[in-house]
Amino acid sequence: MANKKDLSIQRSVDPATQYMLRIAEEQNIETAWDRLEAQQPQCGYGELGLCCRHCNMGPCRIDPFDETGPQKGVCGATADTMVARGLLRAIAAGAAAHSDHGRDIAHTFLLTAEGKSGGYEIKDETKLMALAKEYDIKTNKRSKEEIALDLAHAIHNEFGNQTGPIRFTRRAPEKRVALWEELGIDPRGVDREIVECMHRTHIGVDHDYVHIILHGLRTSISDGWGGSMIATELSDVLFGTPQPIKSMANLGVLSKDMVNIVAHGHEPTLSEMIVAASQDPELVKLSKEKGAEGINVVGMCCTGNEILMRHGIPIAGNFLQQELAIITGAVEAVIVDVQCIMPALPDLASCYHTEIISTSPKAKFPGATHIEFNEEGALDIAKQIVQKAVENYPDRDPDRVNIPNEKTEALVGFSVEAIVDALGGTLDPLLDAIKSGAIRGIAGVVGCNNPKVRHDYGHLKLVEELIKNNVLVLNTGCNAIACAKAGLMLPEAAEKAGEGLKGVCKALGVPPVLHMGSCVDISRILVAAAAIANALGVDISDLPVAGAAPEWMSEKAVSIGTYVVSSGIYTVLGTVPQVLGSPNVTELLTAGAEGVIGATFAVEPDPEKAAALMIQRIDEKRKGLGI
Amino acid sequence: MKTVFVNPERCIGCKQCQIACAVEHSQSKALYQAVFEEPIPRPRVLVAPGLYLDTSFPNKCRHCDPAPCMTVCPTGAISRDMSMGIVLVDEQKCIACAMCAMVCPFDVITFYTMWTKLAAIKCDHCIERQSRGEIPACVEACKTGALVFGDINELVKSARTKLAQSLSVAVIEMDSETARIPAHVEAWRSMGEAVSTIGVEE
Repeated sequence: MANKKDLSIQRSVDPATQYMLRIAEEQNIETAWDRLEAQQPQCGYGELGLCCRHCNMGPCRIDPFDETGPQKGVCGATADTMVARGLLRAIAAGAAAHSDHGRDIAHTFLLTAEGKSGGYEIKDETKLMALAKEYDIKTNKRSKEEIALDLAHAIHNEFGNQTGPIRFTRRAPEKRVALWEELGIDPRGVDREIVECMHRTHIGVDHDYVHIILHGLRTSISDGWGGSMIATELSDVLFGTPQPIKSMANLGVLSKDMVNIVAHGHEPTLSEMIVAASQDPELVKLSKEKGAEGINVVGMCCTGNEILMRHGIPIAGNFLQQELAIITGAVEAVIVDVQCIMPALPDLASCYHTEIISTSPKAKFPGATHIEFNEEGALDIAKQIVQKAVENYPDRDPDRVNIPNEKTEALVGFSVEAIVDALGGTLDPLLDAIKSGAIRGIAGVVGCNNPKVRHDYGHLKLVEELIKNNVLVLNTGCNAIACAKAGLMLPEAAEKAGEGLKGVCKALGVPPVLHMGSCVDISRILVAAAAIANALGVDISDLPVAGAAPEWMSEKAVSIGTYVVSSGIYTVLGTVPQVLGSPNVTELLTAGAEGVIGATFAVEPDPEKAAALMIQRIDEKRKGLGI
Repeated sequence: MKTVFVNPERCIGCKQCQIACAVEHSQSKALYQAVFEEPIPRPRVLVAPGLYLDTSFPNKCRHCDPAPCMTVCPTGAISRDMSMGIVLVDEQKCIACAMCAMVCPFDVITFYTMWTKLAAIKCDHCIERQSRGEIPACVEACKTGALVFGDINELVKSARTKLAQSLSVAVIEMDSETARIPAHVEAWRSMGEAVSTIGVEE
């Protein structure tokens, strides 16, 4: 038993996760950590980016240790070309995932404007009007539906835009936009850049690593300032712009006596409707007939962040806890759409009574029940899904229920609008605090979980170090969930901050770590950075800010890291990207980019050292601004 | 006697053994640092292609006894660790005359510049790992069972088929029941033979 306990402690710092890992081990249930172990040692060519599978003359590899071994692929591609092409394809996949999410939201928005969607409405008219203005759409004497229809068409066109610019990119400071134009990396359209990534990386097209990576920057900008920003802005219009709200985080939010439904995935179009359906009196009544005390919807990963931010729906955990939720034996259904959903879930669920219900026309899981979701019949389909979960309640085996006790209160919902409100309607108090040094700088900390890193350790250690040093942390995604679970999102967490930041937090009644939403909501951090830069009349790269992704694993994170750097923000990665096989590409990303785009990547697995790097950067920028 | 036993029919040519070997013989013992080291660490197991596409053989020092390389070495650079029976090269004593390479039955001795001088480099049977009770790095890295480590007689006993002793030609000719490899791998390999022979003039 002692050994088992040790293993769970090595794998996570989160007590609820440790508890569930012990249960998994007792029940001989396999998790991602076990599968990572089975994969060891992982392929060195892949880890170094020195394997190319882009054509059928290959697969080719470059020998990193022996110059008498192959140094070029069959086509002649060098290590530089292979690594750059691999990186570009990862950026393309990440940008595609975010932007397709944005497209889905835009589609829902269009159907809603046309009056064709079943259950959606325009909840934030202020934002609708602001966006209409941004798109030069006439608002005078027009109904919100008419305005929304024009806006929906205009935004839809961003995906197929061939000539650019993408409207939201013009939210960046003028200097930044001018730099993008000068470098030829101002994106022309969301889809075009992604398609061009695939074209350039086809056999025999683009081989100059600098040229390839510059297109990577362009593609990533079309994500951060395009697809992702569209997803965020239109989600706010449809579902409301998040405002501070209290909720709970961690697996302890699962209920012993209620029907537990885990909404897992990314797009709020589904999770919003699941929340609405779970409040249907008929279904609540049915749950009681089945012996439950009601219906408990909880979130997981980013769709969980969406409903947490807008409705205070509790969040059960981050990426590496999805399997653990099922192992509690208390989940009637995991309802999934797209992204970061482990294909391991249906097999795992077959050991329990849990139903995995897939809903996206894009994503099926062998072994899951597929109930396809569409906007036209949204609420009805959501009710059907919730009913299936409710009807599964009697199959729960109370003897196999193991819900950890841990759940932590968190104050979340800090959209840019909410932050400005908290500041009294203007950014000035924040700027003053930065100038005075009370707030040394701002860090955006984001990204996934990765079993290569002790779960949540990278996230928490980094954030704690930052706030201790008076760096205000803005976060999203799995980092935000880690911080919520650890109690860093309570106003009382100001006690863990340095004196300056503590004072600011106490004056405003906010936590030192502000939850800004899901992974597409990193666009909110860009908007905040642009607003601060514009207020000071400088570029984003002049600001005392830094980014980090301590436990990243997904291709989306590659795109995110790239658009954050392209926006002028120094970014520290906690796991090593698959690029070290090319010293030239490595040098470009970690040093050369500074002279091109005004920021670089750094790789630092130790979160304390990563925090030190970020603080050093922040101090340099403060010096540059003369503050 | 413990040895690294090769099952060539299970080798898919991934070369993970090469990477693991080089990393094991680096100063840092870590991939991401090893690629930047000077001198660059070298693999001592080398995957050589077979007669047809998609056949390969991970080749390394067999630690012969008596070892021809040791017999001909004029400077005494090659010796045997008596406790484990491992044939080792002392890079400092090596004069790079290549006599060992000439007599090696398996052609597994290569010459690289180590620090300032050229020296014979070959498998040391992961003597450091073995002394810690670990198996050789190449075997640990092999995900397909092409490389296995253990007592030679036990391994031979368990693998005593025509197949285990023959190389690529025999692998292709094996019927799937005795080949003990999945049908889809068998099909893949037969395609490799077809692709590399069809249209080729005798």
